[in-house]
Amino acid sequence: MSDDDKHIADGGGEVEETSPKRSKRFEALDKREVTKDGFVNEWPEVGFVAMESPNDPDPSVTVEDGEITHMDGKDRDEFDFIDRFIADYAINVDKAEEAMEIDSVQFARDLVDINVPREEIVELSTAMTPAKLVDVVNHLDTAEIIMAMKKMRTRQTPGNQCHVTSVEDNVAQIAADAAEAALRGFYEAENTVGVARMAPLTALAQQIGAQCGRGGVITQCAVEEATELELGMRGMTGYAETVSVYGTEDVFKDGDDTPWSKAFLASGYASRGLKMRYTSGAGSELNMGQAEGKSMFYLETRCVLVTKGCGVQGLQNGGISCIAIPTSVPAGVKEVAAENLVTMMADLEVASGNDQTFTHSDKRRTARMMPQFLAGTDFIFSGYSAVPNYDNMFAGSTFDSYDFDEYNVMQRDLQVEGGTKPVDEETVLEYRERAVKALQVVFEELGFPPITDEEVEAAIYADGSKDMPERSTADDIQAAEEMMDEGITGADVVAILAKNGFKGIAENMLGILKSRVAGDYIQTSSIFQGDGEFDVLSAVNDPNEYQGPGTGHRLTGEDWEEKKKIRFAVDPEDI
Amino acid sequence: MAQATQQERKLVLTEAGVAEEGTKSDEVVIAISVGFNDMKDETLAGVRHANVIREMMAGIEEEGVTARIVRFYDNLDLGVIGLRGAKLSGSGIGIGIQTRGTTLIHQEDLVPLSNLELFPQAPLIDLETFRAIGKNAALYAKGETPEPVPVANDPMARPTYQALAALWHIKEMGYKDKDKEPMEMEVSFE
Repeated sequence: MSDDDKHIADGGGEVEETSPKRSKRFEALDKREVTKDGFVNEWPEVGFVAMESPNDPDPSVTVEDGEITHMDGKDRDEFDFIDRFIADYAINVDKAEEAMEIDSVQFARDLVDINVPREEIVELSTAMTPAKLVDVVNHLDTAEIIMAMKKMRTRQTPGNQCHVTSVEDNVAQIAADAAEAALRGFYEAENTVGVARMAPLTALAQQIGAQCGRGGVITQCAVEEATELELGMRGMTGYAETVSVYGTEDVFKDGDDTPWSKAFLASGYASRGLKMRYTSGAGSELNMGQAEGKSMFYLETRCVLVTKGCGVQGLQNGGISCIAIPTSVPAGVKEVAAENLVTMMADLEVASGNDQTFTHSDKRRTARMMPQFLAGTDFIFSGYSAVPNYDNMFAGSTFDSYDFDEYNVMQRDLQVEGGTKPVDEETVLEYRERAVKALQVVFEELGFPPITDEEVEAAIYADGSKDMPERSTADDIQAAEEMMDEGITGADVVAILAKNGFKGIAENMLGILKSRVAGDYIQTSSIFQGDGEFDVLSAVNDPNEYQGPGTGHRLTGEDWEEKKKIRFAVDPEDI
Repeated sequence: MAQATQQERKLVLTEAGVAEEGTKSDEVVIAISVGFNDMKDETLAGVRHANVIREMMAGIEEEGVTARIVRFYDNLDLGVIGLRGAKLSGSGIGIGIQTRGTTLIHQEDLVPLSNLELFPQAPLIDLETFRAIGKNAALYAKGETPEPVPVANDPMARPTYQALAALWHIKEMGYKDKDKEPMEMEVSFE
């Protein structure tokens, strides 16, 4: 273009702002949802990298007199408290040198080789250092991670967990939604709150709702750790998950914690027969600005081994509340699948994320969950939002109640067990009604702020909190404080339910309380089958025996027939 | 033009000695993080720190309570600075706020992660909410139990802002001074 071609302003008006002419294609692309997501270029110096940071250590180990004296490039006197904890409690020292000598590529191949059974892998993978586990899994691509997960998850039957929350902490709505979620097939339901002091009441509401269906859906309330433990001890919840561990010493210290204090907390649950798992996930150290330049994958692998060392049966990871950090950098979605896999290699239960929004794009959120969905994990989502995302107090999940039908269709399309099933509207309304009426009675008997008939009616038919009448949070908080002060327990609630004609719910809730005495459900990867009999499925009596075609969990028989029955399929006989 | 100037007015925070434990029961401490109004002068969502402070102070003062501002240099954790602010406050009530805008109301006898009210989604806190947070903190200081400020929930805040928030936080870490004590801040607007 010569100077002659330039448009010259005539000087009679303001100078024209000339912006470069835009491609209409690019203008259209700029309007796509994905452009609203946060993407960041890698910054390895601070650890803003998903996998393979140049600062990740090389694997190494020295064992002297049954003690690890050197690990991943550090001598024992240079260990931070995480190294020390892992070296002393998480690694099978007897096998460590043998496991570390294996060529990482060879071991990566064994992970995807259907002829190598899970037990053989676990015997060695539980003797590896964090850097070694990272080195092995770095050799896998995403399809191989899926293959490895299929073999390595501990329990053979895959499952799913959901979130049941309300932006208003509306108890009637929570009870009804928990009942519906149970019917839809979730094995576990998780609540949290907008206002911390509401937790006792929302936990109670969720527990009552979840028990009004098939019996044996366990519930948790994710709040501050001491409160969470107390709610469990009181029998207001049936398990816990939000006990966080981190991959660097500084983040632990900021929370006034160490691996030992976390182990102590875990023993509080174990001593009461309560199921619990830890929570970690990529990005949390970076979120605190304390990632020491290490990759998210290496730090998360340390978290997995801290969990193992604490003797805790399982872990929730896969990004979790910091998911938008790994997914902002290259290979971030692969990394979160890789951390799920390492958890399985440590022989732990895994609740595999897919539980918090990280993208505006429907395609990205679906692609993100494919590894866990196709392979199957103990809990594919941890959890799936059983309420509209505007009510999801974990700031939104990757899938929510508006995706119920699509998620069922995806299971039907691919013949994959995703942990939910089609339900009909009539039954859903029936369940919701029973739940909220039971809660109404319990509130009345305990002298809590009444749940009005108008609220009951609204909760039965509600989609979300926008459909609920106003309710005073301040009054409910007072009731919550009373409930804690007066020492009301799950047993008191069972008695009230039984006395007022809610025998089924009472029996189910009692079943949960009794299971804590039996203790079977604190075995690795335990779920209740949900038939009201309180039979436990776990890694002990349902071990994953996948070894290629014809083995492992297959979606067949009754379960498959159930999946086929989506609401809007046309029956050829009707035409 | 006058209005534009007003909106653009600058917050000036000047150190006025090591922060002491307050003795007046009618005060609320606003605990700010090390980079607040320094590394950046607006929140992640682009709300100017000058307006954040003005609204919170107005919310506190309209209840007849006094606001003090204390900056913490040695810790960036919101639960920690919020709680330590509450402990310095004569009423035992403090507000904690980070540069990115994440805010909470804390009380001296609680633990860091269990607060009175938390507003974790920084980009969703508008000026009206900041004022309401100030007002509620003042009401707690007076021993009342107000209705909590409605918590905003936007599932798309994390996808847009979380990675950016982490970057800000990492940069703010560079401002930390682990040996420096919390300082009382004098507030003026220019």
